[in-house]
Amino acid sequence: MSTGAPVDLSHAAEASLEAGDASERTITARSPLQLFWRRLRRDKVAMTALFFIAFLVLIALLAPLIVKIAGTPGISVPDREALDEFGLPSGPTAELFPPKLGDHPLGVDQIGRDVFSRTVYGARVSLLVAFVATGLALFIGVTLGLVAGYFRGWADAILSRVMDVMLAFPVLLLALGLGAACSLSPCLGGIIQPGLPVVIFVIALATWPYFARIIRGQVLSLREKEFVEAAKSLGASDFRIIFREILPNLIAPIIVYTTLLIPTNILFEAALSFLGVGVQAPTPSWGAMIAEATGIFDTAWWFMFFPGLALLFTVLAFNLVGDGLQDALNPRSSK
Amino acid sequence: MLPYIARRLLWSVFLLLVITFLTYLIFYKLPSADPALLRAGRQPTPELVASIRETLGLDKPWYTQYFLYMQKLVLHFDFGESFQNNVKVRDELFDRLPATMSLALGGAVVWLVAGIGIGIISAVFRGTLLDRFAMTGALIAISAPVYWLGLVSIYLFSRDLGVIAPIFDATGLYIPPQENPIQWADKLLLPWLVLATAYAAVYARFLRSNLVEVLGEDYIRTARAKGLGERRVIFRHGVRSAVTPIVTLFGIDIGVLFGGAILTETVFNIPGVGRLAFDSIQKSDLPIVQGTVLIASLAIVLANLVVDIAYAFIDPRVRY
Amino acid sequence: MRRLKMSWLLTALLVALALVAAGCGGDDGEESGGKKGTPVTGGGKVAEGKQGGDVTFLAAGDIDYADPGQTYYTFGFMVAGATHKTLYSFSPESPEKAIPDLAEGEPEISDDNKSVTVTLRKGVKFSPPVNREVQAKDVKYAFERSFTANVPSGYATSYFSELEGAPTEPGKYQEIPGLVVDPADPYKLTLKLTKPVAPRVVAAMVMPITAPVPQEYAEKFDKKSPSTYDQYVVATGPYMIKNDAEGKLVGRKPGKRVEMIRNPNWKKDAIDDFRPAFLNSITIEEGNDDLTVASRRTLRGQQLMCCDAGQPPIPILRQALTKFKDQLGRTSGGGTRWIAMNSTEKPFDDVNVRKAVIAGFDRDSLRLTRGGAEVGPIANHWLPPGIPGHDESGGLEGDPKFDFMKNPKGDLALAAEYFKKAGFKSGKYEGKEKILTIATNADPGKQTAAVAQAQFEKLGFKLNFRSVPQDTLYTKFCGVPKAKVVICPNVGWFKDFTDPESMLQPTFSGDAIKEQGNVNWTQLKVPEIDQAMRDGALIPVGDERNQKWAEINKMIVDQAPGIPFSWDDSFSLVSKDLKGVINVYSTTWDLSFTSLK
Repeated sequence: MSTGAPVDLSHAAEASLEAGDASERTITARSPLQLFWRRLRRDKVAMTALFFIAFLVLIALLAPLIVKIAGTPGISVPDREALDEFGLPSGPTAELFPPKLGDHPLGVDQIGRDVFSRTVYGARVSLLVAFVATGLALFIGVTLGLVAGYFRGWADAILSRVMDVMLAFPVLLLALGLGAACSLSPCLGGIIQPGLPVVIFVIALATWPYFARIIRGQVLSLREKEFVEAAKSLGASDFRIIFREILPNLIAPIIVYTTLLIPTNILFEAALSFLGVGVQAPTPSWGAMIAEATGIFDTAWWFMFFPGLALLFTVLAFNLVGDGLQDALNPRSSK
Repeated sequence: MLPYIARRLLWSVFLLLVITFLTYLIFYKLPSADPALLRAGRQPTPELVASIRETLGLDKPWYTQYFLYMQKLVLHFDFGESFQNNVKVRDELFDRLPATMSLALGGAVVWLVAGIGIGIISAVFRGTLLDRFAMTGALIAISAPVYWLGLVSIYLFSRDLGVIAPIFDATGLYIPPQENPIQWADKLLLPWLVLATAYAAVYARFLRSNLVEVLGEDYIRTARAKGLGERRVIFRHGVRSAVTPIVTLFGIDIGVLFGGAILTETVFNIPGVGRLAFDSIQKSDLPIVQGTVLIASLAIVLANLVVDIAYAFIDPRVRY
Repeated sequence: MRRLKMSWLLTALLVALALVAAGCGGDDGEESGGKKGTPVTGGGKVAEGKQGGDVTFLAAGDIDYADPGQTYYTFGFMVAGATHKTLYSFSPESPEKAIPDLAEGEPEISDDNKSVTVTLRKGVKFSPPVNREVQAKDVKYAFERSFTANVPSGYATSYFSELEGAPTEPGKYQEIPGLVVDPADPYKLTLKLTKPVAPRVVAAMVMPITAPVPQEYAEKFDKKSPSTYDQYVVATGPYMIKNDAEGKLVGRKPGKRVEMIRNPNWKKDAIDDFRPAFLNSITIEEGNDDLTVASRRTLRGQQLMCCDAGQPPIPILRQALTKFKDQLGRTSGGGTRWIAMNSTEKPFDDVNVRKAVIAGFDRDSLRLTRGGAEVGPIANHWLPPGIPGHDESGGLEGDPKFDFMKNPKGDLALAAEYFKKAGFKSGKYEGKEKILTIATNADPGKQTAAVAQAQFEKLGFKLNFRSVPQDTLYTKFCGVPKAKVVICPNVGWFKDFTDPESMLQPTFSGDAIKEQGNVNWTQLKVPEIDQAMRDGALIPVGDERNQKWAEINKMIVDQAPGIPFSWDDSFSLVSKDLKGVINVYSTTWDLSFTSLK
């Protein structure tokens, strides 16, 4: 995907192969879920990252409170005093020794808005998009992948071709085009409102084929397995087979690919905002803040730097958790 | 084998057709600048605007416009003219391709060398501090947005600005290698490094885990037992099998990049196809948008095709 | 904003006029403007300089057209000014009055103002491959072709539609009977008009539409739709775009570069051309999307000029204003920037609400987004400095009777009073609906819009705020009344020539409201004002005209159509080894006067 963050397939490839076997092998021992949790808990790095994410979610939810405590002005209040007579912004007022925050701990942006407040609020957009867009892509992708893989025939033929087309489309351009088209007036008969919904819709649209293709592949191999045949011979309906036999075996790859996709989608949203398509002003988005800073970052480095740092840490945390999850799911760890 | 290739080729062409159609739909519906008004001047009379609209063919229904466009494209390899300034789109595209290709290929060299190198070292020295350091670094590299990395590196290391060390030329633009190879490389050096960072990290991680897996296989143990030197074991046997999936990945990555690394090109001011795509979307210059999307899709489809065929050679099971 | 509207050109010249008049007096054209802004960098005489030199002009975008009949943006005008002789031109030595260029002397205007006769200079030649002498028929053809569908000129119908027999709709080529070449004198051209608008027609003769075009050479290109003459233009000025033996402009690669070299058929002394033409060649290097980088290169490099936008990025501007004064050229932009409020939509259909907004707005912050006080004065009415009628309207401060314009930093108490008058007892706007606001997504307009948004919210408004590309803004939203945009924060008007009518009529007259390409963004339609404007159009140039339009200006201020905030200057940069001369017409560097130091 050309979102500036190449997808890391290293662990995924293995984990998907192992998932099916793991469930068969460990039926007599502890439940796979319990084993999984044990392994995960022991992975200190992943747990730290998990706590960081929880912390981030908390920050996003409590953003107004945090800003109030820090005493910084709101996200769309330009502070005239923080700009010089040419309109150039002033830098961070925070100091370490003695520790004080000052009026603008991380400086102000080009029109005098406080960088700290906007960075804190920016977490909302990133996390919201990450979870909702990925969730949506997951839902669509898994459903369509299941249908294509299980029922085969013309459903599979059509869906596979659709996936091919979507995957051949340059993703970023598609997102730019759709984002720009739907930013002004609602698309799809009013369902997709401009602003955040457009971004979520566009990202979900661009990434569902990724899920669908993988799930389809999984289902293709799963449906040949003995336990499915057994269920069929017992007279189970398709519906039952899908939900009782196949879906549980997909949980592991679903988790794995979701954890791979979330950080990618965070970066995708930031890239879209950086390119000017995305949430509208004055809602702060880390990518948009970096974009605004490009003209002036040679003299005012702070409002390019801090949102980027926030992005880095957030995505890193998700990647670490993702790694940890994959290792926990796959007992034959390559560590 | 041949029927397989033929089938894939046919499918690829069809894919491209569908993509041009979808592109036309999406970008046509884009409520962006009205090209007729843009050319009409400051206080145009309605007649003038109508006249320009007719000249540009914008008064026809979109499917007619699409048909005419495809006709020109297929029969004359003519991508049309820009709405903004009548430049031939084909010329624009081919003008910009060298910059994008230089960026992509140069970056590819760097990330392949770095990625594979680090991957091998990490796998061989698995568990050591070196390994952990490398893998942590790789993880951080994947997590940073490429444009942010670009901006930070310009701030720290460009000759203009370089707060830490003025090393790299970050003024952008593009000098063709046949004109001045040293300047060509000089201007692209920092973009290569920044672009390669995230990819190198991915490849390093990928190769490492594959190699570790392969090195644990029985036949490796046999080779070692036979008394083969460790280096031979690693390279002749280990890396060779671990590298195959990387080839697939590489093909696809390069394919995507040839369509334009928008983010890198924007940050470093490189006049490539990606930048062109972005600018033309902004200006709603539909013929150029179509052209760039087509080129990008072509690159992706071609890359996929090559990779699939290569795979079909290697693994006969794949041909369905 | 990358491209400048060419109306700046004419506006600019009046502004420069004001600069010269107000500042240093007419020092026999030696140094124009000596105060803060100087059209000659580093001082010195305008028409003196070293021969030779090859200069590169760094630009982000391309010229719109090389075809003089079609170009209408500043950047294209810069090139046209160096490669074509128009009937009359503004020279840096005489920024306040156009001097004869292609014409031999002053135009003869009939007493009824319905006929203008111009005699062309002899000995002016077209560049290769045409090589022949220019005659009146070439100016005639230049006019005629710009009325055709293949060569749509953006302003032919605006300023020359009164030519007898001029087509009302762009169509096939036809001769215009109102353009008469004297049968006894092939150098004499008479323009016959259907209405007494000769003064305005003469004023418009500085525009590139009057650059001669050889029919026998150009008509084959003009037959194509659209015309391809743009790729085969021949020159009459000191410079020409490099071409081949067939006339194809090999020096022009759209989006990449424009190479101008000396025109071998231009002999300064033989035709008594006012241009010194010091430089040997000028190459425009395009694609410098990042103007910060281009500006820095210019300031630190050699033989470089910049930029094709109205001002370099603000941090660079600040550096230039403090450390690189000798490399900065400035001239009045000659226009007003403002925020338009749609008077046909709620809540701005109530003039008291509009006045409340202006009263409470901190216009100084708006100007700060464009660089602050150094960049120009805050606008307090609608005729910028340098436009006739500006002084009569109260000069920089405006008329003190308009209390809501008095405090540029915003007077919230006064705003509250006006809100109360409009029925909002709390002193702030009380409506809950989201007001459609379309802004640009390009710097610095983007910042201006963001500051404006915060201010509107301070006054109680809730905005449905969207950013779109600049071109989309004008062609699909703010310029289209049907789009029902209520607030347009990034509008500005830079008039076409030094005349208050073209400054006020298109933007505030009910007669000027169009379905597409509308620039009366407020959609102001006040019968008294409209009638006053129709009356004012008929008054000939002079004090009476200025007085009348100043009154109209005040009437408009009283309608509070929008929030004017800046009469800012236009800035350009040169490197240290160049002596840059600004052409106040194009508001950028004059390529025929700039030289090496």
